[in-house]
Amino acid sequence: MKFTHRLAVAAVVAAIAQSAGADTVKIGILAPFSGPFAMYGTQFKQAIEVYQAQNGTSVGGHDIELIYKDTGGPNPDVAKQLAQELLIKDGVKYLGGIVFTPNAMAVAPLINQSKTPTVLFNAATSVINAKSPFFVRTSMTLPQVSAPMADWAFAHGIKTVATAVTDYGPGIDAETAFTKEFTAKGGKVVDAIRMPIQTTDFGPFMQRIKTEAPNALFAFIPAGAPAFAFTKAYSDNGLKAAGIQALGTGDINDETTLEGLGDASIGIITSHHYSMAHDSAENKAFIAELQKLHPGAVSNFASIGAYDGIKVLYKMIETTGASGGEPAVKSVLGMSWVSPRGPVTIDPTNRTVTQNVYIRAITKGADGKLENKEIDTFPNVPDLGWAN
Amino acid sequence: MMRALFTLGPYAGLIAAAIAAYYLFPSNLGFVTTVVVAMIFVLSLDLVMGVAGISTLGHAALYGTGAYAAAIFATLVSADPLLGLAVGAGAGAAIAFVSGLFLMRAQGLTLLMLSIAVTEVLSSLANKYSGLTGGADGLSFTPGALFGRFEFDFYGQLGYIYAVCVFLVVFGMLRIVVASPFGLTARGIKESPARMRAIGTPVYWRLVSVYTFAGAIAGLAGALGAQSTALVSLNVYDFQRSAEAVIMLIIGGTGRLWGAVIGTIVFMTVHQVAASADPFNWLFVIGALVLAVVYIVPAGLLGLPEMVKKLTGGAR
Repeated sequence: MKFTHRLAVAAVVAAIAQSAGADTVKIGILAPFSGPFAMYGTQFKQAIEVYQAQNGTSVGGHDIELIYKDTGGPNPDVAKQLAQELLIKDGVKYLGGIVFTPNAMAVAPLINQSKTPTVLFNAATSVINAKSPFFVRTSMTLPQVSAPMADWAFAHGIKTVATAVTDYGPGIDAETAFTKEFTAKGGKVVDAIRMPIQTTDFGPFMQRIKTEAPNALFAFIPAGAPAFAFTKAYSDNGLKAAGIQALGTGDINDETTLEGLGDASIGIITSHHYSMAHDSAENKAFIAELQKLHPGAVSNFASIGAYDGIKVLYKMIETTGASGGEPAVKSVLGMSWVSPRGPVTIDPTNRTVTQNVYIRAITKGADGKLENKEIDTFPNVPDLGWAN
Repeated sequence: MMRALFTLGPYAGLIAAAIAAYYLFPSNLGFVTTVVVAMIFVLSLDLVMGVAGISTLGHAALYGTGAYAAAIFATLVSADPLLGLAVGAGAGAAIAFVSGLFLMRAQGLTLLMLSIAVTEVLSSLANKYSGLTGGADGLSFTPGALFGRFEFDFYGQLGYIYAVCVFLVVFGMLRIVVASPFGLTARGIKESPARMRAIGTPVYWRLVSVYTFAGAIAGLAGALGAQSTALVSLNVYDFQRSAEAVIMLIIGGTGRLWGAVIGTIVFMTVHQVAASADPFNWLFVIGALVLAVVYIVPAGLLGLPEMVKKLTGGAR
């Protein structure tokens, strides 16, 4: 009895708030702004600022107000509590951000109840979108970028591969998708190594791969400090000299860590959906604005997830304003545009972007800095993990 | 009469505070609930560290095991929340007993290292057996209705009332335990293990029992936390969880149950306010708070009145 009473009061309060401030629509952004994953929060915020500098802070007569909340790392309890606060106390009608899968999973029951459209700027496990029809994803999924790597490798004379992935959800997703595609083509996976998540010394794994002497090594390691150690171990243990090609997803060489990998990383080939070196007018405009607002800043996959994510949120707000809900999600299904990463479409079935996946090689750019140079393109790849 | 007032007064105060929080922060109930869960967890740590003098940085091992046990039980057997709590407490006690058997043989730095190691081992196991635990994706579940009647609501109202009731029961129980001969022996061991041994106390087994009992409470907190999030992931075993609990206890004052309660409230409120005011630099405020407490009131916030008394008394 008491609960229903309180619910009614809350509903009335919400209704009044809505009619009084119909011209301001609030978006809550959940992201890590502190701790070891603060890179994501920084990239998100910068990209959103770029979008707003280019497109203004209002759309369709609605002013946009952004509320940032710090989730730290993979903390589902914190993420859920913050989402609850955003929805109940701050009255946000749309959510964005979310870097980690468990955080997205914890938020799913809430947005199902409140019918809040939520755009995932990063969290990349296929299954998330099945947990709520209110999730739309502008990042990628690991199967989406891993399978094309296998295709490309086989087509370029690589017949045997050893895989080495970090032993947790995304790593296993990458390994599964790569292995499935590679063996289907007729390639052979000679070893499947799963490395503990805290590994900092990759030497022993490299030695093992060296003795197995496959044509190539396929790696998934989460972006950040371990990627340095991995790349260093790759060259120090003489795998490069032994002719074992390093392959991976773009996580091991994202633009925020790329320069630190050093010249030893030249020649490493990865597959991903965005490179800062992507040659298009949209990308140049994006980077120019970014560097105007934040001199010295770089753009990476997190930036592009947020940049396109906020675009999707703008589109929703333009269509449905402060009412949100199912019609807002419906209004962006099938939406196509040219992003700085290339052409993208929101798949109406799985609500994840269908996009080009690029095969990129680390090379020295014209300015003397390392860059992910795109050498091949797989056009319009959907979320390959969805059917599984 | 006075005596009854003395024992029940603080209780009435707690209940009044809990009711006040319900009406003062209707839109922050999610946060207030996490504070209540943390209070139970820190109470458990207080029993281990403050009362029995067992230094540990691995209390999350017990919390996490309780959380996973409750979630797995809810998925496979029954979603009844109260049964889940019991299972969480049982699992927490079991893991505390098993790890306590060798942890309690060590002391000081060795014990600290070993307690961290236990947490790491459990975390790796949870990651490895992802079929059962959901691995890095987390294990989501829906807690059933309380007493088969009351559903957990979107605003977290029932969740809050439920957590507060569990907290009150635990707090009352701990007060009795701490004042009992069992609790006094634990205190005695902290003061001087040699003397306790001399008067015939089986020190090792007494420590194992204290640790097991604290494990049940930490497991209960974990189960409650899991139910209020409706999801468990590997972060329940985070080192940060153990370390922050120690900080909360130090802020409040170790060895006294009220210290655990006050310390948790202060730490988490400052954390919450600072993080909402400036989501980008709030860690600075937390660091400053810890430094201030440790340097100015080493006995924790509960030591503040005594310190003031001493200062004014000295001036007279």
